[in-house]
Amino acid sequence: MRVSLGPCQFDWGKHALKDFYLKMAFETAVDILYIGEIVCSKRQSLTPEELLDLARQLEPSGKEIVFSTLGLVMNAAEEDLLYRLAAAAATGGWWLEANDMGGIAVGEGRPMVAGPHITTYNPETIAFLRRVGVKRVVFPIELSASSMAQIIRRLTAEEMEMEVFAYGKLPLTFSARCYTARAFRYSKANCQFKCGDHADGMVMRTQDGTDFLTINGTQTMSYRRYNLIDVTDQLAAMGIGVVRLSPQSQGMKEIIQVWLDRLQGLLSGVEALRRLTELNGGEPFCNGYFFGRPGHDFFVNDNDRI
Amino acid sequence: MKKKVEVLAPAGNLPSLRAAVDNGADAVYFGFRNATNARNFEGLNFSLEDAKAGISYAHRHGVKANVVLNTFPQADDPTLWFRTVDETAALGADAIIMANLALLDYCHRQHPQLPIHLSVQASASNAPAINFYQRHFGIARVILPRVLTVAEIRALKTRSDVDLEVFAFGGLCVMAEGRCYLSSFATGVSPNIEGVCSPARAVRFENDGDRLTTRLGNIMIAQYGPGEEAAYPTICKGRFEANDHVYHVMEEPGSLNILEMLPDVIESGVVSLKIEGRQRTKSYVATVTRVLRQAVDSYYDNPQTFQPKGKWIKELNATSEGATHTLGTYEQRWQ
Repeated sequence: MRVSLGPCQFDWGKHALKDFYLKMAFETAVDILYIGEIVCSKRQSLTPEELLDLARQLEPSGKEIVFSTLGLVMNAAEEDLLYRLAAAAATGGWWLEANDMGGIAVGEGRPMVAGPHITTYNPETIAFLRRVGVKRVVFPIELSASSMAQIIRRLTAEEMEMEVFAYGKLPLTFSARCYTARAFRYSKANCQFKCGDHADGMVMRTQDGTDFLTINGTQTMSYRRYNLIDVTDQLAAMGIGVVRLSPQSQGMKEIIQVWLDRLQGLLSGVEALRRLTELNGGEPFCNGYFFGRPGHDFFVNDNDRI
Repeated sequence: MKKKVEVLAPAGNLPSLRAAVDNGADAVYFGFRNATNARNFEGLNFSLEDAKAGISYAHRHGVKANVVLNTFPQADDPTLWFRTVDETAALGADAIIMANLALLDYCHRQHPQLPIHLSVQASASNAPAINFYQRHFGIARVILPRVLTVAEIRALKTRSDVDLEVFAFGGLCVMAEGRCYLSSFATGVSPNIEGVCSPARAVRFENDGDRLTTRLGNIMIAQYGPGEEAAYPTICKGRFEANDHVYHVMEEPGSLNILEMLPDVIESGVVSLKIEGRQRTKSYVATVTRVLRQAVDSYYDNPQTFQPKGKWIKELNATSEGATHTLGTYEQRWQ
C-alpha cells in the first residue's frame, strides 16, 4: 500500500501551509500529497495560482501531487475557485480530487480522485465515476471493513484504485454556517478569521465532559483521531491501494514514519499503535466505523470498546 | 400570468397523503417502507398497494405524486433499490426523487419517460454540479440542500436552467445533506444506508431527580433543568460545551419557516416549496399544508403587499418543536 497525506483541513495561513507541504515533500517518504483548501473559501489559504507555484516546487521531490477541491461549493465565487483549481491542476498534468460533485463536473474527462466527500457506496457508482474520469476513489469515512471489502470484491471488471482515510480527525460534515465564528458570537461574514487561532480545531464537549467533536469553521470533525494502524494487514488483504493520513499541526513527520515503518513490517501493529498513542499525548483514538460500530468508539479488537 | 409556485407536502402514510391533498397541496411526496428512503422510521411509509392508492387519490384531485428513493444502495444487495426504480416507473408517479449516481444512471437509461428530481441527499448546491446531473441524467429538478441564501439561489438560477425546489417549512438539517456523518458517528447507523438519522432505537431519555438527560448512542446530547423542554436528541440540535460555554453549539431546536421571506423566496425563481416531515402526523401535514396554501395564494393575490398573518405563524409554531422558528440559511446572517 502507498501512503498519502490528505489535504490540510485547518487554517494555518499561506506561509505555514507552504512550509508544511515543502517539509512533507522533501523530508518524508509519503507517496502522494493532496494540496488545496477543502473547508472554507474565506480562509487565507493558497489560491489555485499559488498552489500551482507550490506544486512546481514540490515536483522535484518525486511525489504524486493532487489538487483537492472545496468540500461544499455554494456560490459563483466558489465555482470560480473550482474552475481555476481544475485549470491549475491541468497545467502540470496533475490530478484533481473532487470533494463536491461540482468538482467532478469541472474535472470531467480528466484524471480525478473522488474524495471522501463523494458518496461512493457501491460498485455501480464507481463504474459511473470511472466513465467520467475518476481513477481513484477514497471511501466515505463511515464505511465498515466488510462494506469496503464487498465493494472491492464486486469491482470485477472495473479498474480502480481505492484509498481509505486511515489517520487523523475525521471530516464528518460541512455546513453553510461557521461554528467557530458562532462560538465567538461572530457571524461568518464577520468571522475575524478565528479558525486561524485553532491549528487543530476547537473541542466540542458533551455536558458530561466527553471530548466528542472538533469544530473547524464550517466543518465538523471527530475530536478523537481515527486510526487504522493496527489493521493494516486487513486493509492490504482487502485490496486497499492507498492509506490517507490527515495533516495535524504537531508531529506529522513522526506519525508518517510510524506508518511507513508499520507498512514495511519494521513495527508490529501493537507497537505502532503504542508509538502513535505516545505521539497523540496518550489521548484515545477512534476506529468504530471500521468495525461497523459508532465512529467515536475505539476497538482494540472487535469487542473491547474504549 | 406567471405559473404559481408549487406547494409540496409530505406523506408518511395514506391518511397524511389524503390530508395533504384535501388541504390544498399541489403535489405530495412519499417513500416506500424500507431502506430505500431517507425517512425510514418505524411504522411509517408506503407499501406498493398504498403507493397505488395514494397516486390514484392524488391524480383524481389533480395533484402530483412524487416518489422518494433517496438512500444509497449497499454493495451486498443493491437489487431492492433497482427494483424499486422499476416499480416506481410502473406506478405512474409524476417524478422519482433520487440521490445516488448509479440509480440516476439506471433510471435515466431504463425509464427515460420518468422525470427525475435530484434529492437533497445529493447535496447539489452549485451550478456545475446541478448541470452535471442534468447533462448525464436529464434531471428535471433539483431539491436544494439547506446551505444557500436566497441571494445565492437567485444567482444560481442565472447559471442553471434546472428547476429549483426548496424547503419552506419543517425540521432543519443544518449540514450538507447526504454527506453528514454525525448520526453514524454516535450510533453506528448510517442515514445514507439505512435511511434514518438519530434512530429511535439509539435514543434515550433519562430522568435523574429534576434533571433530564437525552442520549444518542452513548453520547450525551443535552441535559435539561426543571421546566426546560427537552428536544429529540439529534447532534446538530444538541447542547454542548465549546469555548467555555454550554449552548446549542450548532443550532437551536425549532423549525425552518420561510413565511417572513416568502416573496423573496418565490421571486428567486424556485418552482416548488417543500414541506419537510414525512415522519410527522396527519394533523401536522394538514395544518402546514393549509397555512402554506393560504400564504402562497395570498402572495399571488397581491405580491406587493404580502404580509404573513400572525394567525399563520401561530398555527405553524404550534406544530414545531420548541415552538420557535428560523429563516435558517436563507438569511445571510444565520451563517
